[in-house]
Amino acid sequence: MGCCYSSEAEASDQEDETKRLLEPAASPPNKVLNGAEQSYHNLPSARTDEQAMLSSILAKTAINIIDVSAADSQGMEQHEYMDRARQYSTRLAMLSNNLMHWKKLPLLPSLTNQPHQVLASDPVPFADLQQVSRIAAYAFSALSQIRVDAKEELVVQFGIP
Amino acid sequence: PGSERRCLSVRSMKSPAVVGVLCTDSQGLNLGCEGTLSDEHAGIISVLAQQAAKLTSDPTDTPVVCLESDNGNIMIQKHDSITVAVHKLVS
Repeated sequence: MGCCYSSEAEASDQEDETKRLLEPAASPPNKVLNGAEQSYHNLPSARTDEQAMLSSILAKTAINIIDVSAADSQGMEQHEYMDRARQYSTRLAMLSNNLMHWKKLPLLPSLTNQPHQVLASDPVPFADLQQVSRIAAYAFSALSQIRVDAKEELVVQFGIP
Repeated sequence: PGSERRCLSVRSMKSPAVVGVLCTDSQGLNLGCEGTLSDEHAGIISVLAQQAAKLTSDPTDTPVVCLESDNGNIMIQKHDSITVAVHKLVS
């Protein structure tokens, strides 16, 4: 739904967009979050479902978060930096060869191989144009009659004493 | 409301030689379609109608955009907030 060239069949492309270019060389620095995770192991083993869900959400977020402030400030040597830059550019060069993978543009039903013939033939019948205008007006009036039919109260009070 | 929309597209399709119908809002959201026109065409159809409307400064004069082909035409008409496209074959 939405604008030009968007569709519901997009899910697989989004994974490719967020995939890393290079494999992470070192384990990502997340000292702060490691501490927090360890504290969860000390909780009593009788976890409620809610706590299990909360900790799984926390774990997923921890994996996805890049904590810039907690990053190791050891820095990279010049040669490491150049190395890394070279790795990225070779990887990019490899991938750009595969960039024929543009999503197929949605095509309107194919029209003609002989434009001059189409142009020379009779114009669109006026009756057809009138029919389309009628259909459009009818569709508009039908859609404008869609309304919410409120049958129940939207907000209810719970019976809290 | 859902049944009205379906009724509309089915009725349009009953017209002889109509092989596709599509209805979209001004942002390309497919409101309903049948036949040769489908979800992925909604965006293009809404944009074509909007661009064509810029050809005239008269807001009451909405042009019908016609895509003419060997054996049929796709006619696109904007009516206020919705745009309707009809794919009709010519004999």
